[in-house]
Amino acid sequence: MNKEFAKPEEYGLADLLCCAASREVQDNEIVFAGTGLPMVAIMLAQKTHAPNLKLIFEAGTLDGRPPEIPTSVGDARCEMGASRSSGLHDAFSIAQRGYVDLGFLGGAEVDQYGNVNTTCIGDYLSPELRLTGSGGNPDINSFAKRTVFIMVHEKRRFTEQVSYITSPGWRVRNWPGGETVHRRELYGAAYRGGPSAVISTLGVFRFDEESGRIYLDTCHAGNTPEQIRDMCQFDLDISRVSGETLPPTREELHYIHEVLDPEQIFIPKVKPV
Amino acid sequence: MSSGKRITLQQAAEIVKNGSSLTFSGFTIWRRPFALVYELIRQRRKGLHLIEVNGGPQTEFLVGAGCVDIWESCWVGHELYGKYGANLSRKVGNKEILVEDYSHAEMLFRFSAAASGAPYAVTQTSLGTDIHNPAYDTLGNAGLRDGRRIPRHKYRFTEDPFFGAGAQVMVPAAKVDVAILCVQQVGEEGTVRVNGQFYSDPEVARAADVTIVMAEEIVPEEYLRRDSDLNTITSFEVDHILEVPFGAHPTGMFGRYDVDGAFLKDFYGRTRTQEGFDDFAKEWIHGLDHLGYLEKLGWPKMLNLKANTALKYSTGVKRGQ
Repeated sequence: MNKEFAKPEEYGLADLLCCAASREVQDNEIVFAGTGLPMVAIMLAQKTHAPNLKLIFEAGTLDGRPPEIPTSVGDARCEMGASRSSGLHDAFSIAQRGYVDLGFLGGAEVDQYGNVNTTCIGDYLSPELRLTGSGGNPDINSFAKRTVFIMVHEKRRFTEQVSYITSPGWRVRNWPGGETVHRRELYGAAYRGGPSAVISTLGVFRFDEESGRIYLDTCHAGNTPEQIRDMCQFDLDISRVSGETLPPTREELHYIHEVLDPEQIFIPKVKPV
Repeated sequence: MSSGKRITLQQAAEIVKNGSSLTFSGFTIWRRPFALVYELIRQRRKGLHLIEVNGGPQTEFLVGAGCVDIWESCWVGHELYGKYGANLSRKVGNKEILVEDYSHAEMLFRFSAAASGAPYAVTQTSLGTDIHNPAYDTLGNAGLRDGRRIPRHKYRFTEDPFFGAGAQVMVPAAKVDVAILCVQQVGEEGTVRVNGQFYSDPEVARAADVTIVMAEEIVPEEYLRRDSDLNTITSFEVDHILEVPFGAHPTGMFGRYDVDGAFLKDFYGRTRTQEGFDDFAKEWIHGLDHLGYLEKLGWPKMLNLKANTALKYSTGVKRGQ
């Protein structure tokens, strides 16, 4: 299969995000999949560099190998090929037990410490907009060794401090007092790690585990570090940029569009010019 | 042997009183007891307290119709077919509903605790988040924590006293009056066989005081007992049963039919306003019974959603662009 990088006109932004997400997966890992683009990314990893990864769907499919991409994790397409079709108690117990290496998540807002908000915009007690709520976001983020967030990049979404911490980043609140502490101090024996990357529509960000602060790792083609820093409400660390985000290979594009998502449920095909 | 558990949709809805606490089978847009949800809306039930492992279209319909005063859960939306719960969001904005937020695992563990007769569950999830912000205890702020059906506290912290593993959060058992399940098969005596992922159905069925099971088909109990290892819920955990084919529509059912994505998209698009919701309810709920609803959907739509018996999902539905 053709592992050459595709030319810019051959792929779209969703392809780039999907491939960047896929490359976060290592072989033999147990991965917790959410609905949407992450599902394509994980199954892409399964087809390419991580054939032995184990997939868990939150609704209860364990070690899934779906022949067709499920539309959501409760989908009837999850079951076929799995080790077991079970329920949430198994999925969350397995996660709390410490089996999960990596989880893919999303969010409406993220802050400089990787705290994520999917609950509401504005004051919780009088919100400007009520969103979906947490779902399993904080659970996967509490239990997994690493979590990767895939997000639309807008300046209002990359905040200094999220208006509501739905999902715990590296520096979180110690209740009932609410003082900010490193998550290691709170989680005790259950501490396994935390957010390891944010893949936005502009670049890939990582975290310094000690300070808990986010920094820019790679820029997607066409964006400079300074431009991306201007798109954050906090002072983004751009001193550790390692280069440009690698484009999809032709092999990856083949799998995404011909095998995994030919119906274009999650990833639109780029029309040839 | 008939156990006399059979009831009608109307009778099932009457078991849910104004002010009852209520929960459901299923997961987001799969296996939700819609025929009964519609009947509750027709009967104009008020003051419901929904306690759900996760919400979905059933939440949005009941909330939009003004049946719900309190929603305790972690998520509401329509997955790919509507990114958030617009009716809940509108009512939160207008302060017409109380919302108590837990995480997904916390909700699941709360039902597990109730299902095993324990007063609470203990977990390490969601530490450090605003879910545990004491100012955001909605039911406490509203003075509703009576220590009977509504627990005295939203959560409590403790330290592991056995192994020194550090901070733990205790979350209260989810005590509910009624659970309504929507499954593939139930026997005459109440034995349930769920095909595919069973989500949190065993926990919610056991946690509730009254469990109603709505099935695609009521089958001879003896048929299910021939292979009892394939069954999901015990006969005596189920109080009432009813047969309602296509009863989960517009949500899907493994092995039977797919999610009606176009229907959910239409609902999501049209019910951003109360007027929009009322208009939708007039078209699809009021003045219809279940058969009238199916007739309105029509055979071509239902055949399109019908699952392939080998694959367990429909090969006819258009899912993408």
